[in-house]
Amino acid sequence: MTTHGYDFARDIRLEDLWDDPYPIYRRLRHEAPVAWVPAAGRYLITKHADVVFAEQHPELFSSREKDSLVLRVMGANMLREDDPEHRRLRAAAEPPARPRRVRGDWSPIFQRTADELIDSFADKGEADLFADFAGPFAAANLAHLLGIPQVPAADMIRWSQDMMDGNSNYADIPEVWDRALAAAGAVEEAVDEAVRRLRDEPDGSVISSMLHAEDPPTLQQIRNNIKVIIGGGINEPRDVLTAGVWALLTHPGQRADVEADPALWRNVFEETVRWISPIGMYPRQTTEDLELSGTRIPAGSRVALVIGAANRDEEVFPEPDRFDIHRAQRNHLAFGGGPHFCMGTWVARHEVGEIAWPTLFRRLPGLELDPDRAVETGGWVFRGLLNLPVRWKK
Amino acid sequence: MPKVTYVQQDGTQTVLDLPAGTTVMRAAVAAGVRGIVAECGGNLMCATCHVYTGDGADGVFPGATDDEDELLDCTAEPRRDNSRLSCQLSLTDQVEQLVVHVPGAQT
Repeated sequence: MTTHGYDFARDIRLEDLWDDPYPIYRRLRHEAPVAWVPAAGRYLITKHADVVFAEQHPELFSSREKDSLVLRVMGANMLREDDPEHRRLRAAAEPPARPRRVRGDWSPIFQRTADELIDSFADKGEADLFADFAGPFAAANLAHLLGIPQVPAADMIRWSQDMMDGNSNYADIPEVWDRALAAAGAVEEAVDEAVRRLRDEPDGSVISSMLHAEDPPTLQQIRNNIKVIIGGGINEPRDVLTAGVWALLTHPGQRADVEADPALWRNVFEETVRWISPIGMYPRQTTEDLELSGTRIPAGSRVALVIGAANRDEEVFPEPDRFDIHRAQRNHLAFGGGPHFCMGTWVARHEVGEIAWPTLFRRLPGLELDPDRAVETGGWVFRGLLNLPVRWKK
Repeated sequence: MPKVTYVQQDGTQTVLDLPAGTTVMRAAVAAGVRGIVAECGGNLMCATCHVYTGDGADGVFPGATDDEDELLDCTAEPRRDNSRLSCQLSLTDQVEQLVVHVPGAQT
């Protein structure tokens, strides 16, 4: 690391990362690819190759972070475990999210959700696709997948946000804890009700899969892992959905390409999650002294694998800031890697790339950005659009 | 000792002498063979270590399990009869010379 790079990293402010992290990441990759950033309380790892190395060495970069706020809100769960315990929980929860089950069991439900939401506003000729479509679409689909289909989308969204606010309550604000713990309690009640129903009548849902697994988790483990999935399973598909629509509306040539060749929706999805990765970084803790890109990291250090930076590494992606669905090289890290590789990958690819986007562009003719309302974007730990005002021909 | 040849789309080759016990994926990742992404690290979730098997593969590997089979339907490059996920190709002393072709894209 250069002295300049060191000074630069020391002075990084979280509000600047929140506004637009990408110029900061570019400079870090060049001058201080592994940098202690005091404002974040972590070493930020920003180069693609270094993030891949960390993901491939979970024995050096542990998920069992000490004093994690996630544990305080949600209790012990698979996100903050290493194998073999992680593997056991994951194997119990994963089957409903595997690709064949997504196509067979969930696809018709996702399509119905999309059509009902569009029915509710199609006549108006304008909508905010963030609040009116993407959020409720992701939430309703997840409620079905988990086995709590009676929970309204609005409740799912509120629980998710309240728990996530708790997970990042480093300022220790009491009201934030209260909301987070109340949301966690509400999820537990919904899970307990589902468990009573599913114990004798299994179905294809995640809660049912965990209950009836070969090596089943305890009831408390089921509750905690459902909290994690609700916390991390709504905003991410929502944010891919809105970012992809925005990208296409601002890149008319590529929009025409995909409207002419639906096979390209897959490219749109992969390029969108690379370009604006919904999970911009995730935490790990080192288990021994090590050196990465010339920087020594002591054992027990908190580090951040900065996916949002790795996915714009110019050594891997030429002109990385450009949205381009025709890229030859697409090995982005948006779903993480190694044993914690995103469990919702196939669900998100299908519900967003094969259902939501094609349905929106088909059913809302002449879809375009609302010229009178600006699109806003924010975040670095999680990044995405904050609104998406659009209009179309009625 | 098994000898595995990884052939890229442009014809370049990487030849590795490997101990029995490793997999075609793990060895490729360790040696930095281009095009074997292996996002999920061998947990049968991602379909990014797809290869087309060539000479030396007949009868030395068990067939694909259901989990592998469904992921082979999701590969970035088209599935063919000789498509496998390389994380499922465990090398044994039975394997002498093996050729695998690396597809042009994995995601």
